[in-house]
Amino acid sequence: MASATTSRFSRSALIKLAVGLVLVGGLFAVPRYVSSPYALHIMILIFLSTIMGESWNILGGYTGQYSVGHAAYFGVGAYTTVMLMQFRQVPPWIGVWAGIAAVLVVALIIGSICFRLRGPYFVLASIAVAEIMRLSATNLDKFTKGAEGILATEIPVFIIGEHVVTDFLTKVPFYYIGLSLALLTIAVTWAVQHSKLGYYFQAIREDQDAAHSLGINIPLYKNIGLAISATLTALAGSFYAIYVGFVDPSTVLSLDLSVQIVLVCIIGGIGTIYGPVVGALALVPLSEALRSNAIAEGLFKSGIVDPASATGTFLKENLAHAHVLIYGILVVLVILFMPEGLLGFLRKLGARLKQGRA
Amino acid sequence: MRVNRIGWLLALGLSLAVPGSAQAPKPVKIGAINSTSGAEAPIGETINNGYILALEDLKKKGINVELIREDDTGKPQISMSAMEKLATRDSVAGVVGPYTSACANAISRLAEKYRVPLLVPVASKEDITRQGLTWLFRLSATTDDYAAILIDMALKVGKPKSIAIINENTDFGTSAAKSAKAFSESHGLKVVAEEAYAKGSPDYRSTLTKIKGQNPDLVFMVSYVADGILLMRQAREVGLQPQAFLGAGAGFGNPAFAKETDISNNVFSSTQWTEEVTWPGAKEFAKRYREKFNKEPVYHAANAYASLMIMGETAAKAGGDREKIRAALDSGKWNGIMGEVKFQDYDGYTNQNKHPMLVEQIRNGKFETVWPATFTKNKPFYPFPKWK
Amino acid sequence: MTIFLQSLISGILVGGVYALIGIGLTLVFGVMRIINFAHGDIMMVGMYLTYMLFSMVGIDPFLSVLITFPLMYLLGVFLQKVLINRVLDALPQNQILLTIGLGLIMSNTMMLAFTSDYKILSTTYSSSSFSVGGSSISQPLTISFLITAAITGGLYWFLVKTNTGQAIRATAQDREAAQLMGINVKRMSGIAFGLGAGLAGTAGALIAPTYYIFPQVGSVFTLKAFVITVLGGMGSVVGAAIGGIIVGVSESMGAVYISSGWKDVVVYVIFLLVLLFKPAGLLGKSRM
Repeated sequence: MASATTSRFSRSALIKLAVGLVLVGGLFAVPRYVSSPYALHIMILIFLSTIMGESWNILGGYTGQYSVGHAAYFGVGAYTTVMLMQFRQVPPWIGVWAGIAAVLVVALIIGSICFRLRGPYFVLASIAVAEIMRLSATNLDKFTKGAEGILATEIPVFIIGEHVVTDFLTKVPFYYIGLSLALLTIAVTWAVQHSKLGYYFQAIREDQDAAHSLGINIPLYKNIGLAISATLTALAGSFYAIYVGFVDPSTVLSLDLSVQIVLVCIIGGIGTIYGPVVGALALVPLSEALRSNAIAEGLFKSGIVDPASATGTFLKENLAHAHVLIYGILVVLVILFMPEGLLGFLRKLGARLKQGRA
Repeated sequence: MRVNRIGWLLALGLSLAVPGSAQAPKPVKIGAINSTSGAEAPIGETINNGYILALEDLKKKGINVELIREDDTGKPQISMSAMEKLATRDSVAGVVGPYTSACANAISRLAEKYRVPLLVPVASKEDITRQGLTWLFRLSATTDDYAAILIDMALKVGKPKSIAIINENTDFGTSAAKSAKAFSESHGLKVVAEEAYAKGSPDYRSTLTKIKGQNPDLVFMVSYVADGILLMRQAREVGLQPQAFLGAGAGFGNPAFAKETDISNNVFSSTQWTEEVTWPGAKEFAKRYREKFNKEPVYHAANAYASLMIMGETAAKAGGDREKIRAALDSGKWNGIMGEVKFQDYDGYTNQNKHPMLVEQIRNGKFETVWPATFTKNKPFYPFPKWK
Repeated sequence: MTIFLQSLISGILVGGVYALIGIGLTLVFGVMRIINFAHGDIMMVGMYLTYMLFSMVGIDPFLSVLITFPLMYLLGVFLQKVLINRVLDALPQNQILLTIGLGLIMSNTMMLAFTSDYKILSTTYSSSSFSVGGSSISQPLTISFLITAAITGGLYWFLVKTNTGQAIRATAQDREAAQLMGINVKRMSGIAFGLGAGLAGTAGALIAPTYYIFPQVGSVFTLKAFVITVLGGMGSVVGAAIGGIIVGVSESMGAVYISSGWKDVVVYVIFLLVLLFKPAGLLGKSRM
């Protein structure tokens, strides 16, 4: 009996590993076969969302500290990298380390303030701190160029020795950087979940007082969780800044962004390794499809609605306006009917199907 | 489908009627990136209205444009998505937009990369056309121009010695305030107060009281319409009494502001377009705009209209060939509701239209063009009368 | 001195409106322990309602409170019954996202209905003011301050003297204990959310004549309401009233003595200090 279960376990683990390797290999091969920059761009945005969601997951999902102020780390990472590149000619692959260092300092300060608080008080404090960061970046215009933002004019060519690695002129280098960072954050999450650290984190999430009585140093582990989460978020911020080439307080330090980060994780499935991946895979294409009016286009192309008819005109004029509304409705529906996120829902569905077959 | 057929028949009819003037009426695809949802939506809507009228007029000229509208919600990375899609998936001949400077900056290099002609209608930040890009063209005047024309006028019609600058701390607000400061200092005006406020605050009385204590001769403001109304209402309450209130475009050139005659009369604002100007078609545009949208026309709509007209005509003439369109934009000259448009290289700008700015003054709830004298016979009323 | 007095007075008057928003949120939070991110959006709906009543029927914004409050109360009860009730026992982050989604739905519905143009409600007295000792005092803000004071007083009386009010307070203090005492907690939640929405809507009506209306106006006020609620102590009506005035005065003092750009930072710093040194808020009982 025992041997049967172990062998089945290892077989399923092997299958999982094989599937994972094939998937990753396939993803690395994509730029060879897909030349559409638009498709690559959407993939890059999916990677970016994955990185943000996974990073938040470590603090919010595993440690149970629901920060709604992660834009602070994203923004500091983005600003540091771009400012060093633009004002001091420091190439981004060096600047990003400075960004991480800056974020760790910020995280330490924020942690020392916010971790004294629990529950809703923590949520609100995290928002307040992020807002202070945003307002500071807006007002310190001698330092950050304020609300005007910073436009990165040129990314230096990446050279190792004599060999030109990339000149950052196409989407491809960004695709690989995004993919690598996304895999890195997934790996970090996996490592956290399968280590003592993850066990401590989850103990704090489940019952802080009980964790304390078990002898877990709560402030220490909360700060470790925050440090990991903030570092990865800073990476996302730096990546975004270099990719988009423009930062300003209202995009990289806004409450909207903080909410977006939480959304990816919760819609996908909080506290799971692959939840944020599922969240990013669902949300990025969905919002792009809604925004670019792909639904109306699809209806027209399939011939269900005539674009020249009254309904067609109505759809054309209004669906584009209504995309945020539809997005909001979907968020509410997921929260109400899939409280464990898409991943939890898919798992339940899978289990039910299996039961049905048995 | 039906629209296409009608358009085709219409174009065919026109080409028969005017021999040799129009070519095969294959629709030319043009992208329009705009902010129609989110915080920037109010002006995004105005811009879209300009496009609607331009489409009608292009059709009248036998040019069948398929306009692919993209909403960037005012966010740079989404604007990039839109540009990627238009340039590579929809294969448009050219793009007009986006609305905000942040978005325009973010997509400027994409235009260069994909070799898509991009015509920026209203985003006014200087650096957009200072990157030496060859595929990007800007019809709009720059932020510097908004500040310069107003202060220049005040210096010529009065004898101000000092200026207070109040601006919202947004992209446009900050850069216009900076321009105003630089211009004032280089022209011997003393800047006695600089206040950058966060948009959407319900109370500016204390800030205004502080400014009143400095007794400035000029008050220069950059705000959107709602804050503009609040600022002026509260300036009256606290009795702020400069020689002139100068509003840099945006809210102060908005008809909703003018309607508040208690506080709006005699306020100056700089703008890129007014209907009284002698530019061909300006009056008709204003009339049609009122009839169609039941709203007062503003410069955003005129800029958008002119941009799409230029892009549409150029693209149709070049048969949708991007390289040819770029060359035509680079060398062409147009004369329409925005006056003469020409994309030139000067003062570090590339492909920048040297657009002349105008100053309007509100009289009895109506805008009157009062400056510069080359465009109008009206004289500015200066100084600002005592508050009642 | 004039500047000091001016900023003190206008801070207090604006703070009155903030207080009303804060009181609404504190009730919801106290009874349900839900951070309502849609609170500002509910206020925005109230502003549009006031605008419609004024521009279509010609009802004065201050009088329209009599219509706005009950309608917004009903909207609140409806939202609570249909949506919020389902997540009362869910994870806090899901509650937050639900209210965020709700806010998106409300603001974007309004955008479709009214376009995103700024609406300005200009009454004859919108910019009238009177002068006391060199300070200018806005007439409409003074009226709205008085109305706010009356509503706060009435609410306080309701919560202290009536049975329902006492039941609400009991639920706010300890949900389980209240349930054991036989209080219909679900019903209290409905009433609390209704009152919260009603008060937010009223605040919207009161600020409408001196402010402006657009679909995204809510988010500014949501954040302010959070600050006020924590300052006063979550669940404390009097605390929220005082918190509102503190926020109003610190904003206007910050604008004068530091700068307009930094005034919100002043508010957030005060907020964090209170969180750290008196986490239960100025008037709240500790529930940490």
